Amino acid sequence: MSTALFSEDQRDALQELTNIGMGQAGASVAAVLGEFVQLSVPRILVLKPNLIPPALERIVGPEKVTAVRQGFHGDLRGEAVVVYGVAHCRELADLMGYDEALDEATERELLLDVSNVLVGACLGGLAEQINAEMGFSAPSLMATEVEVASLLDVERMDSPCALFVEVNFSLEKRSFACHLVMLLPEDQILVLRDAIDRFLASL
Amino acid sequence: MTALTHAELGGFIADRVEIGVFAVDADFKVTLWNRFMATHSRHSAADVLGHNLFEVFPDLPRPWLERKVRHVQALRNYAFTSWTQRPYLFRFDHNRPITGGVDAMRQNCTFLPVKNEAGEVVQVCVTVQDVTDTAIAHEELAASMAEVEREKAEQRKLIGELAQAQNQVLQSEKLASIGQLAAGVAHEINNPIGFVNSNLGTLASYVDELMVVLDAYTGTHDQLPEDLKAAIDARIKGVDLDYLREDLVNLVTESRDGLDRVKNIVQDLKDFSRMGESEAAWADLHHCLDSTLNVVANEIKYKAEVVKQYGTLPEIECVASQLNQVFMNLVVNAAQAIAEHGTITITTGTEGEQVFVAVRDTGAGIPPDVLKRIFDPFYTTKPVGTGTGLGLSVSYSIIERHGGRIVVDSKLGEGTEFKIWLPLRYPAAKPTAG
Repeated sequence: MSTALFSEDQRDALQELTNIGMGQAGASVAAVLGEFVQLSVPRILVLKPNLIPPALERIVGPEKVTAVRQGFHGDLRGEAVVVYGVAHCRELADLMGYDEALDEATERELLLDVSNVLVGACLGGLAEQINAEMGFSAPSLMATEVEVASLLDVERMDSPCALFVEVNFSLEKRSFACHLVMLLPEDQILVLRDAIDRFLASL
Repeated sequence: MTALTHAELGGFIADRVEIGVFAVDADFKVTLWNRFMATHSRHSAADVLGHNLFEVFPDLPRPWLERKVRHVQALRNYAFTSWTQRPYLFRFDHNRPITGGVDAMRQNCTFLPVKNEAGEVVQVCVTVQDVTDTAIAHEELAASMAEVEREKAEQRKLIGELAQAQNQVLQSEKLASIGQLAAGVAHEINNPIGFVNSNLGTLASYVDELMVVLDAYTGTHDQLPEDLKAAIDARIKGVDLDYLREDLVNLVTESRDGLDRVKNIVQDLKDFSRMGESEAAWADLHHCLDSTLNVVANEIKYKAEVVKQYGTLPEIECVASQLNQVFMNLVVNAAQAIAEHGTITITTGTEGEQVFVAVRDTGAGIPPDVLKRIFDPFYTTKPVGTGTGLGLSVSYSIIERHGGRIVVDSKLGEGTEFKIWLPLRYPAAKPTAG
């Protein structure tokens, strides 16, 4: 699928803006988690809905995953999905400073919390770069321990295409890793494009 | 009447909105406490404002809440809690004092950063939303889903049982027609056997009489005139008369033995296939086993030696034809489990009020994953066309119907033992049966 909705310049700018946003996010997440966070350079794709599950599978690999979704709204409207490999999911408690074994509800709360932190930091970082006001709805559990391919119901997606921004997190000292995917519907892609244009014009 | 300023309006709404709203500063000192919070916590704003939140509410999950608020401050971003993971932040009475359903108000909370002009988070505002109704509806739904799942599982089990019952009907119909066929063939064979047997009897006495006559002639042989004697000698030449006389008697005796064996086989077939019979009667299990072994002798004679370790068995009340089926299954399976040549040991005896029959082979043994399924209908490990996969399941249900049990013990590479316990009396028919 082409990224024809963006010109080369716009795409580069978006990549750069996201990258700066992520850098700031990394710093604040590190402050919260007390560990240095490594973030991949964001990868940006415009995809038809049916290509989103394969794209997710490519990022995560064949393992089973648990995923959290969180909506964001305001100047930009879309959804963020944080995908955890099942094994990494169990490292969360340790990461967040829980010593004791956790019951299921606490473990899930933790999962939602960490997702909220990552989404808030990353999208907040991006929003700040393009001067967008953004709010967040409460995160919710999409699915636990399922195949990546079954995470998203392609049939239910209305938008003919979506902007797919992928960031991979890992921690310097641990094996923990997760993947954040920001999904914007088509009309929001245009909003984002205008915001980028304004940003470029202001340079 | 004076119009409200925007700030007044905002303040009014924040105070009166049917959502809990409060705020704390970096030291957890309460800076806002709206009416919803006051009403439900029974602590008025005057009691709470300016005080440390944890001092007023010692029951709050302090480490967790501190961490949550720190995150909001550090990330300058929202945080949330959901009733599904954390039923409530404050233990408030719910709105169902009469109808009940939950122990306390279910709450969804949102933590929002309150920023100053410079964008620094100076306070954290928390909203507490009463979601008790949603929670109850959700839990009721979950309960009915669980109920539906349980019913579905029960139905799947019933369908399985139904299929099994149908298999048994099919199998027993098949066996019934095989039995009828066998009984018919046995009957047809019986007639020629009958007259051959009686003819042989007559033949035997004719042979005896002929021998006497022959002896008499042989005695006079030397007294015959020379020419006659030479003519007879020429006839006798090349015939070993002595051997012939001896063998003739043997041949007749052997033929009669052979016929007896055919008669036994026919009798065994008839015994075995008493298919019309489904009434329990007193029977000797050793007799059942022997007639079964005779029927299947051909199938096993090249594979295994049968060792009978029969104990003393009382007669038991049973449907002999059905037990014959079971024994046949076990013996044939045992023979099939043996690759080259081995031993099938049949042990019988009594244990308490029950009798047992054990069939042990020195075959390949059954792998554990197969062992779990051997009594399942249609489960077979034999090549397509050789086994129906019904033998052991039918055996199982026959034994069950007799009020007995069948267990299997198998060691890979060493062999397998099937052991059947049967009570002395056939269980009385259930009044609902049929």
